[in-house]
Amino acid sequence: MAAPAQILLENVSHVYRPVRGREVLALDQVSLQVANREFVALLGPSGCGKSTLLYLIGGFLPVEAGSITVDGKKVTGPGPDRGIVFQHFALFPWKTVRGNILYGLERQGMPKAEREKRAQDFIELVGLHGFEDSYPSQLSGGMKQRTAIARTLAFDPAILLMDEPFGALDAQTRGLMQAELMRIFQRTPKTVIFVTHDVQEAVYLADRVAVMSARPGRIKTIVDTKFDKKAENIFKERVFVEKVDEIWHLVREEAIKAQGRRST
Amino acid sequence: MAVRHVTTRARIKTWPAKAARILPLLLARCFSVAALLAAWEILARSGIFTPFQLPPFSAVVLRIWNDGAAGDLWINLALTLYRALAAFAICVLAGVAVGTAMSRSGLARWFFDPIVSVGFPMPKIAFLPVVILWLGVYDLSKITMAVIDAIFPVIAATVIGIQGVERELIWSARNMGASERDLLRQVVLPAALPQIMTGLQVALPLALIVTVVAEMLMGGYGLGGAMMTASRFANSTGVFAGIVEIAALGYALVKAMSLIRRRLLAWHPEAHAPSTV
Amino acid sequence: MRTLIRYLPLALLAAAWEAAARLHLVSSLALPPLTDVIGSWIELIRDGELLVNGLASLYRAAVGLALAVVVGALLGVMMAWFRPANTLLSPLVEIFYPLPKSALIPVTVIWLGFGDGSKILLIFLGCMLPVTIGAFNGARGSEQVLVWSARSMGASRLRMLWDVVLPSAMPELLNGIRTALALSFILLVSSELIVAQKGFGYLIGSLGANGSYDAMYAVVLTVAFLGFAADRLYLALTRRALAWRYDT
Repeated sequence: MAAPAQILLENVSHVYRPVRGREVLALDQVSLQVANREFVALLGPSGCGKSTLLYLIGGFLPVEAGSITVDGKKVTGPGPDRGIVFQHFALFPWKTVRGNILYGLERQGMPKAEREKRAQDFIELVGLHGFEDSYPSQLSGGMKQRTAIARTLAFDPAILLMDEPFGALDAQTRGLMQAELMRIFQRTPKTVIFVTHDVQEAVYLADRVAVMSARPGRIKTIVDTKFDKKAENIFKERVFVEKVDEIWHLVREEAIKAQGRRST
Repeated sequence: MAVRHVTTRARIKTWPAKAARILPLLLARCFSVAALLAAWEILARSGIFTPFQLPPFSAVVLRIWNDGAAGDLWINLALTLYRALAAFAICVLAGVAVGTAMSRSGLARWFFDPIVSVGFPMPKIAFLPVVILWLGVYDLSKITMAVIDAIFPVIAATVIGIQGVERELIWSARNMGASERDLLRQVVLPAALPQIMTGLQVALPLALIVTVVAEMLMGGYGLGGAMMTASRFANSTGVFAGIVEIAALGYALVKAMSLIRRRLLAWHPEAHAPSTV
Repeated sequence: MRTLIRYLPLALLAAAWEAAARLHLVSSLALPPLTDVIGSWIELIRDGELLVNGLASLYRAAVGLALAVVVGALLGVMMAWFRPANTLLSPLVEIFYPLPKSALIPVTVIWLGFGDGSKILLIFLGCMLPVTIGAFNGARGSEQVLVWSARSMGASRLRMLWDVVLPSAMPELLNGIRTALALSFILLVSSELIVAQKGFGYLIGSLGANGSYDAMYAVVLTVAFLGFAADRLYLALTRRALAWRYDT
């Protein structure tokens, strides 16, 4: 880890206050460093606060305890240096595929001809040629997610925050999208924080996997998952299977603990 | 039962905290109403407006109080309420009946569908002189006019509601041996109730609006008639008193309807959701 | 052919009307034959009375409604996105929404007299709240993730209101405007029936008072048809504006 940390989280805590009901400590003293162009997966059972952590880094929720800095600057609100891809796509339903991708570029003040060209490039990159003028309601889940990814990549954020981006897709589409994401990142490397609860996905995509515990959310262990993943049958390779197994046991412990706590 | 017990206990426990959170909100809500009334009073007394243009709120309250003491208020209120509610009751019975018939019989659908789809968006109030021509200026014509206007939302809501009932629900009821009659009364209508209630919530204020207009045009007793009389004698305190009375009546009816809705639809998820506005 | 069968009941009703009047089943005073009504309608068109009064009415409705849409939509979005606006305005909306709008007719006359002003004010006041409530519910329902997406792509808060909140609110807002459109016709006709010097309502009233019932029927049917046509036209426009909601 020679590279300096680009994203720095120090003792970040967050309390969730529902309109009615009790306050919940969602995150407890979380610290994490992410290097430039590193791919970190946040893995944990549902309700461990991994999405909350992502929203804090994105600047959507206020940081109330601890500190988050990006490139040495404190995060105080959302900004185009951190692009986000949501689980349920969050496409503007009243804009076409092209319109959605153009939106971020317009906001950056890119000249018209240039942004038209760039939008088209990214439409090609995610393989949506021919669907430029379709509305999100006319697309399949996988196509919607490709649009969302293209929309975020197009305005070229240094950091990409992905909140279970493939969680709403069926298993086959999911596999295809993972491979495609790998392919895209080889061309346009980025710093990525990727929230998921799928162990295989985390090991396959990430350089490091941060396993989180539930209620209050803490980072329990960080596992190094950086190894050569180019092999054809990577999912059957011994080194891959062992990593998955190791992490799976860590996550399972947490899931069981979380279950037990919920039912009392 | 046990679950219920726990929740009530929890509610009692959190009550002071809840009160502390709700009380400022309640005060803030009262504030803007109080501010409006104060602004009315001050503006009226400031001399910017003549008492004819804007009588002071206190004078209007006094006028309502006197009308109440003299008994006129109660007669007018009762008559308007009677006409609006009678019209509403007819709309409920006839509207749901026609709507049900339209969803269950092809012939009824064929006959009523164009009438509803053309009649619903029409400003039926334009037929008021025709209704006067036919039925005179008494209760019958006022109630008829209100029915003509308010029945369409009920019919449309009933048809939409019944169409929206899930097939699986009907199939499983049939599967359990429900007769056609049971099916309608115990499955289809209850399942369509949220939609039907929405239609009724549109129909009731509409019945009141039309009743008031009809009273204004046809004269006689009733809140609308009294307002018109006051207006003819350039008695603007009387006109404003009429507005306050009619507003209070409208508010009470709308609140009553949403209470009834909550009661009837206690099973529906919306009953536990925060209400709109 | 299909449309023919679909609208046959209306034709049957019209035929029944004609027959009842011609066979003197009802007094021809109360129900002049449909053909006579059509004759009077042509007459009214020819001498320009229908046009003059109709334009006066449509002008009032259009101005009142336009004001109601602009002000109502602004108020609704503000109430959904600025807490102080909500705290201050929502009790007032709650009190005035159930007010039978027709009760305002005499007051608008007291304030602005018998002419255009009082009708426009009435239509504005009466139609504003359905628009406000539509905009409020729609804007409040705009999804958090869409707002966040826009913000992370560099949209300012104001820009976000315009780019995300307003389009999200559009379906409910357009629905509120449809209610307002229907209401504007009701308020227009009833206020003109009660006090006016021109307009559809005035024409209906004065023809009725003269006993020319066939002409009165002609105007009544014209107004009813215009209300229907306005609604259909509005629906067609709405469908186009909301094309993105429907797949295929």
